[in-house]
Amino acid sequence: MPQANTSSIFSKGNPPKALKGFGHINRYLDRTRNKYSAKILPGEYYVTMEDEYIATVLGSCVSACIRDKVVGIGGMNHFMLPKSAEEKGGKAAMLSEAARYGSYAMEHMINDILKNGGKRENLEVKITGGGRIIANMTNIGQQNIAFVREYIKTEGLLLLGEDVGDIYPRKVLYHPKTGKVNIKKLRSMHNDTVQAREKEYLATLDQKPVIGDVELF
Amino acid sequence: MASILTVDDSASMRQMIAMTLKGAGHDVQEACDGAEALKIAKANKFNLVVTDINMPNMDGIELTKELRSLPDYKFIPILTLTTESSADKKTEGKAAGATGWIVKPFNPEQLLATVTKVLG
Repeated sequence: MPQANTSSIFSKGNPPKALKGFGHINRYLDRTRNKYSAKILPGEYYVTMEDEYIATVLGSCVSACIRDKVVGIGGMNHFMLPKSAEEKGGKAAMLSEAARYGSYAMEHMINDILKNGGKRENLEVKITGGGRIIANMTNIGQQNIAFVREYIKTEGLLLLGEDVGDIYPRKVLYHPKTGKVNIKKLRSMHNDTVQAREKEYLATLDQKPVIGDVELF
Repeated sequence: MASILTVDDSASMRQMIAMTLKGAGHDVQEACDGAEALKIAKANKFNLVVTDINMPNMDGIELTKELRSLPDYKFIPILTLTTESSADKKTEGKAAGATGWIVKPFNPEQLLATVTKVLG
């Protein structure tokens, strides 16, 4: 873990400047590390070129932590596939709503990294999440893991490491400047907030599929 | 059946777009950025170009402008298919000569319906 930065910007209580489009993400001062941390929820992502962390808690959702190790810009997302991931077979699976939504979730973040100076050939990826946190439930965590692995392979991205599967939720802290990912498996939960948030997110995806607009000029 | 050039720096996106268009009987060629697309476009004569916006080497806006300066591509439809949804970007695309703007994630049926419409 890098040493705490005690520069004046932190003592004033100001988080580093957020990149365009990320001003709405909640950031808090992590007093243990004396750095700011952006907290992302299911369906969100955050990209930064500053010396700050990105935090989330994953149940069956997955996060891809992606950075350009040369330029020093990176981000983390937090998503799961809609239920149609259960569709089987080549063509149907590849063009399913699930695959299209998953690709969108990955591409959107990668585009923001590239738009802010990152280069595709410098990108390195770590993935985590996809836990089977509810027993007897369809293993949607595994479907999320399979998708993100396949995506990384198709895109030719460098997968540096993964901590996926198992039965526990994970508290994840990513530091794009160094590429370090801290993962804490939560063996006991005080409440069902993680499950409730993921269920709500999944219900939103299933009820209102995300489809972009079409406009003819 | 039309001859279509699809341009995207994401390999998985190119696969999905090509599969959708080929499934409807179109002949599809792929390019991974604007510079490669321009080279392929000059060596062929496509009926339609479907391009992403954010790409290395040459982005979709620049590609659209370059294509519009070529006699073979002055009037053919050019659709943008992108994660960009801001009004500013759309205005920029329209000024460059784009025929339409589709925001990702795309729906295959919706893409095919738009393609049919712009091909007339």
